[in-house]
Amino acid sequence: MTSRLLRLAVLLVSALVVVFPIVWVVSTSIKTDVDIFSIPPILVPKAPTLSRYAELVTYGLFSYLLNSVIVSISTALATIALGTLAAYSLARFRLPGKWNARVSFWILSTRMFPPIITVIPLFQLMRVLGLVNTRLGLVIAYAAFNMPFVVWMMRGFFVEVPRDLEEVAMVDGCSRMHAFLRISLPLVVPGIVATAIFTVILSWQEFLFALILTQTSVSATLPILVSSQVTQYQILWGQMSAAGTITMAPVLVFAFLVQRYLVRGMSFGAVKG
Amino acid sequence: MDSKRLSRWSDRNLKYLLLAPTIVLLLMLTVYPLVFALAASLQTVSVRTGERSFVGLANFASIFSDGLFWNALGNTAVYTGVGVSVEFALGLAFALILSESFLGRGLFRTIFLAPMMLPPIVVAITFKVIYMQKYGVSNWLLGLIGIKGMLWESGPQTALFSLILVDIWEWTPFMLLILLAGLQSLPAEPYEAAKVDGASWLQAFRHVTFPLLTPAILIAVLLRLMDTLRIFDQVFVMTGGGPANSTETLSLYVYQAGFRFNNVGYATAMSFVLLVLTTVVSNVFISRLRAEEVFTQ
Repeated sequence: MTSRLLRLAVLLVSALVVVFPIVWVVSTSIKTDVDIFSIPPILVPKAPTLSRYAELVTYGLFSYLLNSVIVSISTALATIALGTLAAYSLARFRLPGKWNARVSFWILSTRMFPPIITVIPLFQLMRVLGLVNTRLGLVIAYAAFNMPFVVWMMRGFFVEVPRDLEEVAMVDGCSRMHAFLRISLPLVVPGIVATAIFTVILSWQEFLFALILTQTSVSATLPILVSSQVTQYQILWGQMSAAGTITMAPVLVFAFLVQRYLVRGMSFGAVKG
Repeated sequence: MDSKRLSRWSDRNLKYLLLAPTIVLLLMLTVYPLVFALAASLQTVSVRTGERSFVGLANFASIFSDGLFWNALGNTAVYTGVGVSVEFALGLAFALILSESFLGRGLFRTIFLAPMMLPPIVVAITFKVIYMQKYGVSNWLLGLIGIKGMLWESGPQTALFSLILVDIWEWTPFMLLILLAGLQSLPAEPYEAAKVDGASWLQAFRHVTFPLLTPAILIAVLLRLMDTLRIFDQVFVMTGGGPANSTETLSLYVYQAGFRFNNVGYATAMSFVLLVLTTVVSNVFISRLRAEEVFTQ
C-alpha cells in the first residue's frame, strides 16, 4: 500500500514537472508586462491579452507560418515519394553480395553526420544555385536529412508485408511494379501516413539549416521567428512566448496522432513498439 | 524494344531503378558537401581579396593550440556525459515504474512523453522564461525553500549546468519511451524461471532484465549521444555560448568560426574533428548492436 502511494506521489510530482513549463510559457504569452514581471510570479494572468500575438502578426507571423507549412509539407511529400521506393527495393530484393545491408547502413550513416559539417558547404552550394533564402533551398536540404529516416521506417513496414501476397499476384500475371502498387503499397498506407507526419514534425522544428539558409520572412520558418525575439539588447518575453506557443501547438497535435508509432519513429524503426 | 521486353527489363532492374533517386540525392546533398568540406578545410580564404590558397593541414594544426576549441570540446563532453547518464538513469527508473500495470498508467505515459515532442527551440525559450532573473519561477521556488536566487543560464558558474538540466527535462522521455518499449517486449519465461529459482527482484533485474534489455539500451543511448554531441539549437538561443564561453559547444564554435568570423577553412577543419568524434563513439555502439543483430533484420 505505502509503495503504491509512494509511486503515485512520484508520478504526480514528475507529471507536474513535465507539464508546468509548457503551461507556463502559454500563460506568459497572454500576459501583460505587469503580469510577466510580477513578484511572486503568477500563473493565471490578471489581465489576459492577445496583444503579443497581434504584435507578431505585424512582424510578419503569417509569412513565417506559411513558409513553415509549405516547407514541411513539401519535404514530406518529396521524401516519402523517393524514400518509399528505395525502402521497398531494400526490403524486397536481394542485391548481390552483402549490398542490401551495406546500402541500408550507408543511408542511415548519412543521418549520423553532425549537420554543422554539411551546412557550410550546402550554404555555398545553394548560393551558387541561387537558392539561398528560398523555400525550395530549404526543402532540398530537409529532404536530404529526412531521407534516412523515411527509408528506415518504410523498410520496416514493407518487411512486415508477407511476400506471398505479391507472389500470388505475380503468378496471376501481375508485373512486379503492379504487385508493388496494387498489393504492398495499399497495405503500408498507415505506415506512410505516420512516416509523413514524423517528417512534417522534424522539418517544422528544424533550426540550424533554417538559420543559415534563410534570411528574411520570404523563406524563414517559425523557429527563426521564435529565436529572433531574443535580440542582443533585449528579450521580448511576451512575443517570444507567443511565437513559441504557435510553433509547438501543431506539433503536439501531430505527435498525438502518431503516438502508436512513436517508438518506431524515434528509433528509426530499430525498436518495434 | 517492344513493350514486353521493356517490362521484363524493368522487372529485372527494378531494384536499382527504385533505389537510384534516393542514392543520387544523398550523394549530392551529403557526400558532395563532405568532400567539399574536406577540400575547404585544407584551404584558407583571404578576407581582403577572397583568394583561396592551399595550406595543407595548417587549419588542423591550429586547432590544437586553440584554447577556445578545447573549451568547446570540454563543454560538449560534460554536456554529453552528464546529460546522457542522468537521462538514462531517470529514464530507466520511470520505465520500470511504468512497465507495471496500474490505473492511469497510459495517461502518465502520454504526459511524460510530451517534452520530447516539443520543438527544441521552444523548449529553449520556455526555460529562458522559467530561468528569468528576478522575476523567474525557478528563483521564486528556490526562495520558498530559503535559497538565494541563482543566475542560471546567465552565470558563468551555473550556465552549463542550467543547459544540461533543460536537456534532461527534454530528453529523459526519449529514454523512457525506448526502454519502456524494450521492457514490454521481454518474454515472460525467464522471469518465471527466476521466480522458481527464488531470485530476488534485484537479482532478476541484474541477470534477466538487464541483459535482455541491452539492445534497447544501446539504441537509446547511441541516439542520445549522437544528438548531444552535435547540440546547437538550445545553446544558440539560451546563451549563444556565453557567458565567457562557458556553454560554447563544438557545433556552436564551428558556426561562429564559419559564419561570424568567416573563417570557413578553420570551421570545416573543426567540424571534421566533431565528425570523427561522433563516428568513433557511434561505432562502439554500432558494433555491439551488430553483435546483438539489431541492425541486420
